[in-house]
Amino acid sequence: MTTIQARKATVARSVTRPDGRSRRSRQISLKTILIVLAAVSLAPYLFMIVTSFKTNQQFADSFWQISFPLHFENYAVAWNQIAPYLFNTAVVAAVSIVLILLIASISGFVLARYRFLGRGFIYGAVLVLMMVPGLANLIPLFIIMKDLGLLNTYIVLVIPYTAGGVVLGTILIRNFVEGIPQTLFDAARLDGASGARMYRSVMLPLSLPVLGTIALITVSEVWNDFFWPLLVISDNNLRTVSVGLQFFQGQNVTDYGPLMAGYLLASLPLVFLFTFLSKYFLAGVQGGVPGTH
Amino acid sequence: MVVTLDAPSRLPSPSADPRKAERTPRKRVVRWWIYLALLPLAIIIGYFAYYPAVSAIFWSFFHWQPAAESTFLGFGNYVTMFNDQIWWLSFRNLGFIFAFAVVSWILPLLAAELLISLRSIRWQFTMRTLLIIPMAFPGVVTALVWGFFYSPNDGVINQTLKALGLGALAQNWTGQNSTALLSLLFVGFPFIAGLPFLIFYSSLQNIPTEVLEAAQLDGVGRFARFWQIDLPLMASQVRILLFLAVVGTLQYGFVAYVLTQGGPDNATMVPILRMINVAFSGGDWGYSAALSTTLFLITIIISAVVVMARKRGSDTTDGGAM
Repeated sequence: MTTIQARKATVARSVTRPDGRSRRSRQISLKTILIVLAAVSLAPYLFMIVTSFKTNQQFADSFWQISFPLHFENYAVAWNQIAPYLFNTAVVAAVSIVLILLIASISGFVLARYRFLGRGFIYGAVLVLMMVPGLANLIPLFIIMKDLGLLNTYIVLVIPYTAGGVVLGTILIRNFVEGIPQTLFDAARLDGASGARMYRSVMLPLSLPVLGTIALITVSEVWNDFFWPLLVISDNNLRTVSVGLQFFQGQNVTDYGPLMAGYLLASLPLVFLFTFLSKYFLAGVQGGVPGTH
Repeated sequence: MVVTLDAPSRLPSPSADPRKAERTPRKRVVRWWIYLALLPLAIIIGYFAYYPAVSAIFWSFFHWQPAAESTFLGFGNYVTMFNDQIWWLSFRNLGFIFAFAVVSWILPLLAAELLISLRSIRWQFTMRTLLIIPMAFPGVVTALVWGFFYSPNDGVINQTLKALGLGALAQNWTGQNSTALLSLLFVGFPFIAGLPFLIFYSSLQNIPTEVLEAAQLDGVGRFARFWQIDLPLMASQVRILLFLAVVGTLQYGFVAYVLTQGGPDNATMVPILRMINVAFSGGDWGYSAALSTTLFLITIIISAVVVMARKRGSDTTDGGAM
C-alpha cells in the first residue's frame, strides 16, 4: 500500500532533480547534520577541556571560549587529589583482569572441549547470571563482605568484579574455543599433548583477541562502577575513580579549573585505551549483547 | 572430543551435583581434574553470586539485623513494600525513564541512517569515531559535567539563557519537581554514543548489497528504503535492544545519585536508590532484602519472557517482520 505511494514519490523526485548535483548537495547536507550531531555530543567534553585551563575569573568572563593565559597549574592541583584514585582503580582493575582471565579461560576451555557429567548444568548456571544484574545482589553481598571483615580493602572491590567478569568471560571464551577447528586439537593430541598443554599452547595463543576484549570490558567496568565502591569503601585512600570523583567534586565545587582538570585526568586512561583499542572495545560492547553470539 | 563420561541426555537429571559423579563408581574413568579446573568458577559464582541472591530471599522474611538477633516476620516486609508509596513512585519514574530511553533511540537511528548514506568511506569512519567518543568517558564524568551545566547559579545552561536575554527561563533544573527527572534524562544528549547506535549502524552495514541494488532498480527512494528494508531487517536487533533497555532501566541509579540523590521530594527516586536508602540510612536490612529480591525476580521474569519470545519468534519472524 505505502509501497506504491513511496515509489511514485521517488520517481517524481528523480525526474525533477538532475542526478549529479543533487546527490552532491545531499551529501553535503548529510555531513552538516552529522557534524552538528557530533558537536552537540562532544560539547560537554570540549567545555570540560576548555574550562580546565581557566581561572574562575576567566570562566566568569567567557564560558565557551578559550581564554589566555592557559593555566596548566590546574592540572597539578587536580593531579595531587586524583592520582590516588587512579592508582587504586588501576590496581583493582589489574588484579581483577588477571583473575578473570585465568578462571574464565580455564573454565571456557574445559566447557567447550570436554563432555562430562554436569557440563550443561554448570554452563547453564553461568548463563543465568548473564541475565541478572549484579546490582540486585548489592545488599546481601555487602553484609557478606562485612561479615568477612573485608570492608575498606582492595579485595572487597576485586571480588564482585571478578565474579561478574568471570561470567561474561567464560561465555565469550567458551564460544570462541568452540569455533576453533577440532583438527588443531586432534593434531596436538596426536603429538602427545595433554589437556593442560593444549590449553597453554593451542587455545591460549589463538584466543588472545577475546582475552583482550574481556580485559577491556573489565577495565571499563571497574572505572565506571559506582554503587559498590560507594558502599564498601569509606577510606578516601582506597576510593576508586568514580566515587573518588564525586568526593573530589565536593572538595572543589568552587574551583572550576582544577575541578574540570580532575575530571579530564580521570577520563584520560579510558579515553586512551578506547582510542588505541577501539576495535576490541566495540567488539566487547557488542559481544556482551545476548543473542549476538 | 575426548572420552565421554556419560551422555548428558541419559542422566536422570542434568542438574545432578557434578561431584556426585566422583563418588559413584562408574566403568569409565572419571576425569576428576575437569572438576578441579572448574572449581574456581564454581566457588566464585556460587559464593558471590548465587549465595547472596539466595540469602537475600531468606532474609527478606526477617527483621534482619546483621549484627544482632533477627526476628522472623513472614511476609511482613512484602506487606510493607505494597504500602510503600516511595517504592511505587520509583517504579513510575522507571516507566518514564524506560519510555524516554526507547523514544530517544530516534537520534541514534537517525545518525546511523545518515552515516550509512555517506558515500565517502573516510567520512563515514571519521564521523562514526567522533560520534562514539563520548562512550570512552567514564559515566560519572559525564554525569558530573552535566550536573555542572544544570547548577542553578553558575550553571552553563542558566548563564547561557541569561546571556541570550532569556533569563526568565533560567531554572533550578535538578532542584525542582517539575524538571528534575527530565534533566536527569537529558544527561548525555543526544544519546548517540552507545549500544543502540552501534547496533543500528552495524545492522545497516550488514544489509546485503543485492537487496539494496534490487530496491534501487525498483526505484525505492531513501525514505521508502528506511521503512521497507532497514526497519524490518533490524527487527530482531531492536528486540534485543528492548530487552537490554529494560534491564538497564532497572539498574538506573547512579546519575540520579550523583545529581539529585533521588530528590527533590523523591521526584527522581528509583528502586536501586530506594533499596540503598532503606538499608544504609534507614537500617532496615530485611526490608531492603525484600526490595532487592523483588528487583531480582522482576529481572529474572523479564529475561525468561524475552528468551522464550525469542525462541518462539526466531522460527517465524526473524528478520522478516514485513
